[in-house]
Formats: sequence, structure tokens, C-alpha cells
Amino acid sequence: MSQSKQSVGAPLLEITNLKKHYPIYGGIFRRQIGSVKAVDNLTLTLQQGETVGLVGESGCGKSTAGRTILRLTDPTEGSIRFEGQDVTSIRGEKLRQLRQNMQMVFQDPFASLNPKMMVGHIVSEPIRNYNRIQEKALTEETMQLLERVGLPAEAYYKYPHEFSGGQRQRIGIARSLALKPKLIVADEPVSALDVSVQSQVLNLLQDLQDDFKLTYLFIAHDLSVVKHISNRIGVMYLGSLVEIAATDSMYRSPLHPYTQALISAIPVPDPLKRKERIVLQGDVPSPANPPTGCAFHPRCVHATAICREVRPQLHQAAPGHQVACHLYTT
Amino acid sequence: MLPVHPQRSTSPWRLAFAEFRKNKLAITSVIFLFFVTALCILAPWLTSWDPVKINIRFINKGPSAEHWLGTDKGGRDIVARLLYGGRTTLWICFSISLIVTSLGTLVGSIAGYFGGRVDSWLMRFTDLVLIFPFLVFVIVLKAIFPDTGISIFIIVVSILGWGGTARLVRSKILAEKENEYVLAAVSIGCKPSIIIMKHLLPNVITTIIVQAILIVAGMITVETGLSYLGFGVPANIPSWGNMMSDAISPEVIKNQWWVWLPSGILITATILAINFLGEGMKDAFNTKK
Repeated sequence: MSQSKQSVGAPLLEITNLKKHYPIYGGIFRRQIGSVKAVDNLTLTLQQGETVGLVGESGCGKSTAGRTILRLTDPTEGSIRFEGQDVTSIRGEKLRQLRQNMQMVFQDPFASLNPKMMVGHIVSEPIRNYNRIQEKALTEETMQLLERVGLPAEAYYKYPHEFSGGQRQRIGIARSLALKPKLIVADEPVSALDVSVQSQVLNLLQDLQDDFKLTYLFIAHDLSVVKHISNRIGVMYLGSLVEIAATDSMYRSPLHPYTQALISAIPVPDPLKRKERIVLQGDVPSPANPPTGCAFHPRCVHATAICREVRPQLHQAAPGHQVACHLYTT
Repeated sequence: MLPVHPQRSTSPWRLAFAEFRKNKLAITSVIFLFFVTALCILAPWLTSWDPVKINIRFINKGPSAEHWLGTDKGGRDIVARLLYGGRTTLWICFSISLIVTSLGTLVGSIAGYFGGRVDSWLMRFTDLVLIFPFLVFVIVLKAIFPDTGISIFIIVVSILGWGGTARLVRSKILAEKENEYVLAAVSIGCKPSIIIMKHLLPNVITTIIVQAILIVAGMITVETGLSYLGFGVPANIPSWGNMMSDAISPEVIKNQWWVWLPSGILITATILAINFLGEGMKDAFNTKK
């Protein structure tokens, strides 16, 4: 918690073997007959001030991971340490106090703002929840926040339905900044926006990171978006990380066959430059019934006998480059 | 530096109100209801006849200059009884609707927001209230305690009547809490009570208001129906239902229209107007900007 306890370079957030399983009930007695393994053995460390991108296709558990890390849903197993403090199972007022330090930017700018509340009240509500502050000072602070995210101060007196998607996302960002948090989990913050607006919002997020000394966990399904903003990128498949590396290293030499396929799918805005596209066969398996061994083996062209039987663990394949694949174990 | 704030811009409520004003039927209903309520409230200043005191000289007289709508079997002025009766009936129905809506909203929103075990316990309790044989209970109660007054009537009907509202509110809250802004409210440190009152209820309040209005109409039916049967408002207190009960004999229906027709028309018109108002509000709230 306190600054002194935290040694230099100690991670802001440490997630170890995080699991989030949703039970499936069935049969006449509504007994648990299985579970959807939305997040399965996620291990991730965030250093102070860095941006880690988390990518993967729909349904791979990125959003659930983000929400579990912020304790918006309870983890099934594993541990979450924030600034060295174990926050995996704190609850009640303690958890509420912790929330000041970690905030979220939501994916859908239309559903994430209460339509019946004035924008000013939406943005100032976090401050009101924690501090006794004079009404006038609060209004002024809120207006400054609105201006900081690129909205006019008069936006205070308007309602969400009077804004466009990009502007609403700015409102959401202002709300998450109001408490001056240390960590922001951005759950696909630009995927609902027009491409032209996406870059504006991304640039805003980057500017804010410098100003407010923020650490981002940036969740996305679009590799080109994450490339722009992240220091490190983690690739998720069926609830767990298959590869994590510094952004350059990841794009220059992706190791995992799944990452290679993803990167080959990034469109290149140059008609003369043709590159070979790896097209994956089959669909993502159900997280309720994942394949044995490596979760990716049914779709992998390099799969061998060991892939079908043993689940690969993340290991160092190059400095700062970790991958969970049997191809790189010797 | 507070900038001059422009007209507090178009809140969702303003939009709904603008929409509502376009609905002529609903506006007419509002005006009608306003008049009926005002007349009933001002009854003591509008008529000098006593609605209760029996006057043997004027029994069952037709309309005249003195008694505009004639007199009933007790020689009491029908107009006076309509106005004073409206006071009783409307007071009962508004109070019941208020209590029923508050109780239903409380139980429904808690059950809907917390879910899980809280939800199942509260809803089982609600089911218990809903399956309670209302009519039988009221009749038996009246048979045991014949002298119960208006407040007992209000309390009994309210306690047996909140189940439907609770279920409605619960289902609305269940749907509403799936929105991300509720998750956002949790993440910015709102306590459950704040989330329910500041975030969820304002977004389902329109449904609750419409339901409350329709309950008023429903309760007019309940009051008149029970009083007609003699199990509602005590017979010595004028109410629209008690006036209708004068028409229980075929003799009155055939020969003395002024005894039952005015109250009948007034009851029907009021219930209709309330329903039009409710429908109009429902439409106004549901229009997308």
C-alpha cells in the first residue's frame, strides 16, 4: 500500500494461475455437470507505468480476465496481488477502498453510461463516493476532467444521449480518471468506435498515461490497435496465455502458431505488398469442453502426439519472450 | 469559474413530457382527473347538503332545483354524496397504490439486484402473498370485525396487493442490471443501496409509475366492488362503492336512475381516464428520442 513498502521495480499487479469457471447446471436435480472455463490459468505481471495488451478472438476470456482482475467477478482460483497486497479474496469495505486504485474503461460507450444521469454527475460520482468535497469544488474539478479528455466544460449539463460514441467513450475515460487510479483496465475501449475516432481515443489514452502515471491493461481483439499502444502483448487462447512478449519482438518473430496466424491476418494497406496469410482451420473449441493437451492442437498444423496429451506451460523462449508451445521445448 | 450553464439541456424526462403533450386523449384524461379530484377535495365548499344525515322528508326524490341529481333512500343529496364519496374512494385508492408501489418496489429491487438466495427467499414470500385468497380473507375479516374503518381497509388491501408490483420491479431490475453502467457503478465504488436508488430505479421508474397509476384504477374497482357487496367501506361513510350498493334492488334500477347512474358514470369515466393516462405515459416513456 504505502510507497515505502514498495521496492523499486516491484510489479503493480501480479496475477498467478488465475481461474474463472462458470458452473453449468443440468439434469432434473440441477446439479453441476460441468463448467465453462472462461479464464484458465492466467499468469501475468504488470509493471508500474507500462501498457500490456491482451489480445485474442471473441470468447477467449479476455474480458472476463479483465473483470476478474478488478474483482468485478470473483475468481475461482489463483491469486491477484496489487502493489504486493493479496486482493484475491478481500470483500466489503476493504474491496471498495481498493477500487479507488483500479478502474475500468468499458467496451460499449452506449451501455456503460447511465442514460438518466447528467454527464457531470456521471463523471463526479466516483469522487463523491470516496470524498467529502464541496459541491463547487467538485463541479470545477469535474469540468477540468471533461476538458482534459477533450470535451467542453458545458458537457457537464448534458445527458449521454446527446453525444456520439467517441465522445461517450471520452466521458467513460473521464469517469475512470476521476479517482486518479494507478491501474486502468481498458476493455476493448475503441472496438465500438469508427476507425477515424479510434486513433483519437488511443492518442488520448496515451497522453493520459504520461500525465497521470497510469498503468494500462489494454484488452483488444485487433492486433493493429494494441501494437500502437502497448509495451508488451499477451496473446490469449481459450482462457490462458499462449505467448507474451515485448511488442517489437512479438511482431517481428511471433513464435506460437496461433500468434503467427493472427499476425498474418493483419491487413496491410498496400496493394502491391502481398503476404502469405495463414488461415486457421476449424473453430474455437468450447471452453466448457476444451481439448486435452494443448488447447490449440486441433487447429495447429504442427501438432504432434505430445500436443494432444500434455498441456504446454509458458516458458522463456527468448529474453523477455515467453511462449506456451511444445515446438520450442527442447 | 462556472460557465453560464445553458438551459439544463434535454433530459430524458423532458423528452418524455414533450411526447406526452402530443397525446390528446391522455391530456384530456389528466384534465378530467384533475377536475374530479379538485371537486371532491373542495366538497365542503361546493355543497351545503350533508352527505350522511338522513332526511326523511326528501326520500327518493328525483332531480330538482334543490337537489340537482335527486336524493337517495335516506333523503341525502346525490351530488353531495358523489363529492364526499369521491373523497373517500380516491383517498383509499391513492393510498393503497402508494403503499403497494413502495412495498413492491422495495422487495422487487432488493430481490432483483442481489439475486441468488435473497432473491429466492423474497420471491417465495411474494408468491405466498400472491396466492393468498384475497376475497375470502376480506370477507372473513369483515365478518369477524364488522366495525373496521377505512384505514384497516387500506392496510389489508395493501398488504395483500404488492406481489404483482414486486414481481414486475424484480424482472425490470434483473434486465436493467445487465447493463455495463451497473458494473461501472460497482467499479467506481458505489454501495448497493446507491446502485439501486441512483442507477437502477431511475431507469425502471417509468414502468413503476405506469403500474402505480393502473393500480389506482384497479383499486377503484376493488373498492366499489367490495363496498357494493358490503365488505368494503363501512356503510355509514359515503363512497362511490357504497352509492352503487343502493342499486342492489331491481326496484331502484328500474325506477330511480338518479340513484345509481351518476355514480356509475363517474366511476367508469374515472377508471377510463386513469387507464388512458397510464397508457399515454407508457407510450411517452417508451418513445426513443
